[in-house]
Amino acid sequence: MTATPAIAARGLGKDFGPVRALDALDLDVSAGEFFALLGPNGAGKTTALHLFATLVHPSRGSALVMGHDIVREGLAVRRGIGLVFQEPTLDRDLTVVENLRFAARLWDLPGRLAESRALELLERFGLAAERDTPVRALSGGQRRSADIVRGLLAEPRLLFLDEPTAGLDPHARRTLWESIHRLRTERGVTVFLTTHYVEEAEPCDQVALLDQGRLAALGTPAELKRRAGSTTLEGVLLATRP
Amino acid sequence: MRPLYGIVAREVIRFLRQRGRLWSSLARPFVWLLLAGAGFAAVFAGSRELDYRRFMAPGLLGMVVLFGAFLAALSTVVDRDAGVLRLLLVAPIERGAVALGKVLGAAVLGTGQALLVGLILVPAVGLRPGAGGVLLAASGIGLASLATGALGLALAATMRSLENFSTVMNFVVFPMLFLSGALYPVQHLARWLRVLTYVNPLAYGVDLLKHGLLAPWARSGYGGELPVPLDVAALSVCAIVCTVLATLLIAREGLTSRAGGTG
Repeated sequence: MTATPAIAARGLGKDFGPVRALDALDLDVSAGEFFALLGPNGAGKTTALHLFATLVHPSRGSALVMGHDIVREGLAVRRGIGLVFQEPTLDRDLTVVENLRFAARLWDLPGRLAESRALELLERFGLAAERDTPVRALSGGQRRSADIVRGLLAEPRLLFLDEPTAGLDPHARRTLWESIHRLRTERGVTVFLTTHYVEEAEPCDQVALLDQGRLAALGTPAELKRRAGSTTLEGVLLATRP
Repeated sequence: MRPLYGIVAREVIRFLRQRGRLWSSLARPFVWLLLAGAGFAAVFAGSRELDYRRFMAPGLLGMVVLFGAFLAALSTVVDRDAGVLRLLLVAPIERGAVALGKVLGAAVLGTGQALLVGLILVPAVGLRPGAGGVLLAASGIGLASLATGALGLALAATMRSLENFSTVMNFVVFPMLFLSGALYPVQHLARWLRVLTYVNPLAYGVDLLKHGLLAPWARSGYGGELPVPLDVAALSVCAIVCTVLATLLIAREGLTSRAGGTG
């Protein structure tokens, strides 16, 4: 295993017109870490994630993702990462398997390999029977699961999950966490999670609290609780806001 | 190559699955032929040597290209496509490949529809082009699909959303159609309108189609009006320049306002 950090951000910021979505983020995520970016809606979590995924360009600062600069080496960054967005990325007119085939081609996966991986993942997420169903006919939770399968298909070394459990039923939620656990233990995948659910950040190695585009706190869940004098992360989150 | 193939294949599957879009795109030129053709045939100055419906056949194929390729590329800004766009932008492919894939996808749709319509339309109006004519007309369809598809994508990359579709129809699509020579020869237009036809890629495509299908009437002024090499060059330049432009716009976060979402 190389010691290249998964993410190293320095003064990273993004403005949308007059709105300062992300102020100046300093962040280090080691390879293999389970990292959570925790904060209320509109705190800048998704903006940070879109910056790391090279979807938008920073207004200031810089960041290396898997050792590659997010501005100058966008393609190299995108080769190493997988992403599950908050909003769906599936084509509603296509079937589940057609969507996965499309994603596999974009990631340049050989057809047969993609097909066998897709079937295994669909099986695991309870979607095997829906493989030829058009996405428009799926329930909200099934759609979300299919999107997660899409994100896992290319077996990325760094996986970004933007509010992944929103809209998932308890069963799919547990499957997701089990899959993530397996990816981490078996393949050493770095997982970067954004969430506003405090309990989802509890099992993480490191948690960053984001509030109004600023980093409010950073540390292991235990450290954060100790510093805030709280027994729960919920208390930490509430303590960051006066 | 695999990502490019994937992008094009998705466009084709989608199109074939949307039955309404499929049938309306195939029926539209025949509705025009029937309704516009019937009325204009009576007042067409050249009717003694050339039936108006024959004259408008190349233009109608140009119209199929315009609706098939240009609008397909422009629809990249439509909300329902935002999710897939987001996926394209985080996929491990160059921005140029995203642009090229989108342009090729639009061009395949435009070309496929126009060839299919042409197969019925050309014999239906009594045109009998030779092999060379068919080849010229088919190149006109293919090149015009690439050029208008690229223009549509470049335009899409400058737009935040397709809020006012009728504005686009009124100020882009219909002027492109009317100033293409599809419905009347452009040589009779006022000078300032003729200038506009020179910056309209569809005009070169329709001109190539006329070279291919209306060659016997070229001397009476109803065939192609520009040299064939000029048509080919203009369409190729438009296709390349607009694809490069779209690539640069996408690299500068064009299209991401729709794909980016909030938060």
